Amino acid sequence: MTGADYSSLGVADIQAGLAAREFSACELARAAFERIEAEDEHIHAFLETTFELALKAAQRVDEALGEGLVPQQIGALAGVPIAFKDNMNQAQTHTTCASRMLKDYVAPFTATCVSKALEAGALPLGKLNMDEFAFGSSTETSSFGPTSNPWDLDRVPGGSSGGSAAAVAAGFATVALGSDTGGSIRQPASFCGVVGLKPTYGVVSRYGVVAFGSSLDQVGPFGKTVADVAVTLDAIAGRDPQDCTSQRIEARFSDFLDAGVKGTRIGVVPAFLEAKGVEAEVVHATTEAIAHLEELGAQLVEIELPNAAAALAAYYVIGPCEAFSNLSRFDSVRYGYREDGGRDLGEQYEQSRAHGFGPETVRRIMLGSYLLSSGVYHMYYYPAQQVRTLITQDYAQAFEQVDALITPVSPRAAFKFGEIADPTSMYLSDIFTIPINIAGNGGLSLPVGLGKTSGLPLGVQITGPQFKDENIIRVAAALESCYPNIARLAPSLGEKRARFEGGVR
Amino acid sequence: MHLSVKDVRGIATYARIGLSDEEVEAMTVDLNNIIESLKPITEYDLEGVEPTFHPIAGLSNVMREDVVQSGLSREEALANAPSQQEGQFRVLPILGDGGGDR
Repeated sequence: MTGADYSSLGVADIQAGLAAREFSACELARAAFERIEAEDEHIHAFLETTFELALKAAQRVDEALGEGLVPQQIGALAGVPIAFKDNMNQAQTHTTCASRMLKDYVAPFTATCVSKALEAGALPLGKLNMDEFAFGSSTETSSFGPTSNPWDLDRVPGGSSGGSAAAVAAGFATVALGSDTGGSIRQPASFCGVVGLKPTYGVVSRYGVVAFGSSLDQVGPFGKTVADVAVTLDAIAGRDPQDCTSQRIEARFSDFLDAGVKGTRIGVVPAFLEAKGVEAEVVHATTEAIAHLEELGAQLVEIELPNAAAALAAYYVIGPCEAFSNLSRFDSVRYGYREDGGRDLGEQYEQSRAHGFGPETVRRIMLGSYLLSSGVYHMYYYPAQQVRTLITQDYAQAFEQVDALITPVSPRAAFKFGEIADPTSMYLSDIFTIPINIAGNGGLSLPVGLGKTSGLPLGVQITGPQFKDENIIRVAAALESCYPNIARLAPSLGEKRARFEGGVR
Repeated sequence: MHLSVKDVRGIATYARIGLSDEEVEAMTVDLNNIIESLKPITEYDLEGVEPTFHPIAGLSNVMREDVVQSGLSREEALANAPSQQEGQFRVLPILGDGGGDR
């Protein structure tokens, strides 16, 4: 099997191929690394590759197949090459959060989402690039250099889980895990033309995932199809005694792939489509998707989310405050970067944190430090939590009327490196994704083809009621069937070279 | 301007981040811009609205049996330490005596 043959496979293809002995899990692992070696030099999705670990996992799958088991008996992800965002601890690998602070940190334990994926038989390919500590929407804040969008190497893949989206779009990993605090799964999925799902807060354990905003963070899967995302979520979801916010999940998400939308009520939010700064091609793509849902038999309902407009401001209060608290653990004593030469421990903290953290991380910590200081707390932090109540109520009321909502993911397609330099403008990338984190609901980005103007991938966002993520899977899978011809994979480097006659960076 | 350079220096001390004078100046501009964008929060009528600190309503506290479990070994816990001595994390003097890392 060549790297190119491998790159287009989905989870079901892999399981069918393994069952029919068309290829072995070891061949899959080798083909994945062939693809990564050939192309990742130009994309930089990976911060670390773990060929030995993948091969060992593949050998175990092949042994089990040799004993006569079928892939599903071995595990829901048997033989499926997977990669993890580098804020997820996996024993024997680095967990850097794309930060100089954790450049040399080797995880002594494994995050629950990672161990569940590995127990399900997945082959771990490595750790993926991200914005530093997940602070960003483009991977440009990674201390180790940005990831390129596989569709156009001069553009960002989105962020913060940009490496995860790019690894799937480039055909390196069949599925990948990311985390989403304000849009960090859905926006890069949209920019890279893959499916990305942030489940309801509490569906997936956060144990072992480096915390950013503890009341907002949620882990979720990326894949080329809704089916691949659903089966991956089935493998990683559920109650974990190590994360007391994780919940028992009764639903099997992959059971809802063929349920269809006939008779369902789907909400559209006119205010989102009329919002300032939303590109015409995004409005066009979303409107087209809405029309498809109606053709499939869904009943459309117009929904107002009057307080959603304040979500961005609430997020830039709550997120930095929680980050300020979470990132206080980086003390240069127990682990992490240490700057020597200070006179005392206080100076060592200050110098180590100043030089270990990058500029955006420092900015968020500083903002949280200010917002939580006495006297200021009652001006911003407390009111932001009250606004959070109003936003949450908006969504709860909306989902009394509808089974799911469809909105844009991002106001625009992938932007060029350096195009958005001002931090507050960058924050606007997430206006349609942030309200979902504030309210705690789940949301998915579904690719709907290339933008009419930009020629770049665009996604639409499907959101559902809390702990009804099966609604999202159901609607997304039905809508996906209306786009049978869209590319599941970015053009390979070879294809891009042929197209641009060597104009690729 | 909401924040002065002096304010920002105080915030940096509170956050334990040692910024140079130049960095403090740039940070003052950035923070003021960001704080300006948070204005909608201050303009809301929130009379009588309860705050939400956790997104999922109706959850109760989770308790478990107090059972002894093995954690990291001392060796594993120290493996990532920038400096260690005699099986312990080594730090600079906490109060500072100008003597550096002894």
